[in-house]
Order: sequence, then structure tokens, then C-alpha cells
Amino acid sequence: MCNVPSRCLRRLLAPLLLLTSLMASASELPRMSHSLTPLKTPVAMPELRLKDMDDELVDITTLKGKVVVVSFWATWCPPCRREMGTLERLHQATAKEGVVILAVNVGEDVEAVFPFLAAMDPQPTYPVLFDSEAEAMEKWGVRGLPTTYVVDRNGLIRYRAIGGREFDHPELIKRVRSCLGECS
Amino acid sequence: MSMTKLIQIALMGLLATSPLAWAEQTITTNPVTGVHTWKNSAHGVSFSMKQLLPDQVRGFFVSRGFSVKQIDSYATSCVYMMILSNDQAPGVVHFVQNNWSLVSDSGSKPPMDTKDWLQRLKQAGAKKSALIAFRWAQFPPEHEYEPNGDWNQGLLAAGLPAGSSFDLVARWDVDGKPYEGVLKNVQCP
Repeated sequence: MCNVPSRCLRRLLAPLLLLTSLMASASELPRMSHSLTPLKTPVAMPELRLKDMDDELVDITTLKGKVVVVSFWATWCPPCRREMGTLERLHQATAKEGVVILAVNVGEDVEAVFPFLAAMDPQPTYPVLFDSEAEAMEKWGVRGLPTTYVVDRNGLIRYRAIGGREFDHPELIKRVRSCLGECS
Repeated sequence: MSMTKLIQIALMGLLATSPLAWAEQTITTNPVTGVHTWKNSAHGVSFSMKQLLPDQVRGFFVSRGFSVKQIDSYATSCVYMMILSNDQAPGVVHFVQNNWSLVSDSGSKPPMDTKDWLQRLKQAGAKKSALIAFRWAQFPPEHEYEPNGDWNQGLLAAGLPAGSSFDLVARWDVDGKPYEGVLKNVQCP
């Protein structure tokens, strides 16, 4: 049992501290770029129906008419952690214009993800979905984390990024915004 | 002009026209943990291997749902954090990890296969959520990286005893043209 709050917090944060000791520090990692690769032939997005932090089902097909940024991630993935804050800033810059960010967590549960998000600055306010069996990421063709897709208003995947990115970079924000039109 | 001078000029010209063809390998040491990182680049692709101590690997995977007994053989199999990035290759970099070589005194072999590990860990009774974490924490067995930004990092097991050393020969192709890059004298923690 976990009746004392500080003990609960330590128990929740312990995996994160361990993780920090295992993984490379930011200075040892490659510089994150702000490139997005346009798909030569846009493809229809696969199915994505997953539960969020509140156990509510989110279906990407209900978001047609919006630009959707789908990012596959895990708390133990260092570049995923590095880019989460930049996704929040992208969200803050574009949410009112019709851009939706869906962060799809792979293989973890709310107990693992909640303390991670709570410790982040800025804290993500976009939806976090749970692909606990890693089935959605197989359907989307993900082969490594993080992988991010930009889906246009018609449900076509237009851009892809493998590995961490600076999603708050002006050029990348401009690219995402372009999909509110024709995606340029 | 002497032949030596001509060769020198030719080599300088070659380096000047293809500055990304080869770079010098670097080795850095973490002052706290003492672990080493080997890093190099070739043909616009950078790659590195960072030592992970068996206890670090055990701790990471026990936090993901494995028992110490289940993960011990993996943790002691000479594990690294592998990073490979397509910085400025002339096109899409495609690699198959099974085509890479770890060249040591005992011969040449590819890194240990993720599918084989998953099979062994499943037989050892690891639960599904732990196996999912294991699978996706590994460096991708095969992938394609676009220039100017695509990269991944993940775990790679050499499958060699502690204290042994090897050269990693990483191989990839761009539009079918083969390339390779080498990390020399990498040491198992």
C-alpha cells in the first residue's frame, strides 16, 4: 500500500530516476532537427481508436477537418521526453487554428505516465492516448520511437518524422499550419 | 614535383570535396559513471555506442516488469545505447542490423537478434507488457532514415563477454549503393 503521499511520490518517481541514470544525457544526444519529411504519395491514415488518461475513447476519424499530429512515444524513450515540451508549445501555438496533437503512449499505463507528465515543464495539455498492446503503432508502421505523423484535414498522412524533433521551431510550426490549407 | 607531393595534393583535394566522407572517431568518458561512448561519422551518417553497465540494464528492465532472473542474461550480454542519424547522407539511409558486423578476436558476427531475445524472454515467463517495452527499447532491426534529421536510439546487445573488445562495422545503403562506417576497439563493460 501507499498511504503516505511523499512515499507514493518516491515510488512513482523511482523509475524515472533510474531511467535518467540509464539513458544518455541531453548533451550526448544528437541535435534535434526541425525537419518533416513530406510523403511522396500521401496515404490514408490507419485506424486509431484508443483510450485517453480519463479512460475516454478517442477515435481519430472524428477529427476529420482538423490537422492531426500523431506522435508515438514512451516515458523511457529519451528523445520522446525531449520533444514532449516542444509538442506542447506547438499545441499552444496552433490549437485554436484547428491543429490537434495526439500523443500515443506505447506499452505503458496511467500509473507510469501520470507522474512523468506531472513533472514536465511545460506540462502537456494535449490528449495522451494509450496503445498498451502496441497494436496501433504496428498499424501505423512505426519501427522506432519517437515517430510522428502529420495528417491533413482529409485524413491523409502528409509528413513523417523519425526521431526527436523541435516541434516548436517556427519552420516546423509553419509546415504544420500549411496543412490547414494544401500542405506545402 | 615528387610523387609523394602529388599524392598529398590528391588526398587533400579528395578530403576538400567530400568533407563528410569520414570523420575521426571520438571516445568520451562520463566522469560520474566512468562509462565510455564511441562516436564516429561516415558519408553523412553519424553513429555512436554508449556502454551500459549490467546493473543499469537490469534496473531499467526490472522497472518495466521483468524479474532480475528473467533479464539477467540480456543485461550481461554487453549492451549499448546505439544512436544512428542521417545527418547529410545523399539520400534515404536504409539499414538492416543483421548485415552489421561485430569483429572481435573470436570472429565476426552481427549484433544479437531482437526476435531471438523476445523468444527467450517469453520462454522465461516475461509478461506481455514487459516484452513490449523490451521490443521498443531496442535499436530498430531495420529502418529507413531521411536526410537532415531522421534518427533513432535504442539498445543493442553485442553478445560478447565482459571485458572483450570489438570493431562495429555498420552498413547501410542509399538508393542501393552500399556504404559502411566503423567504430573501432569498442569495449564491453
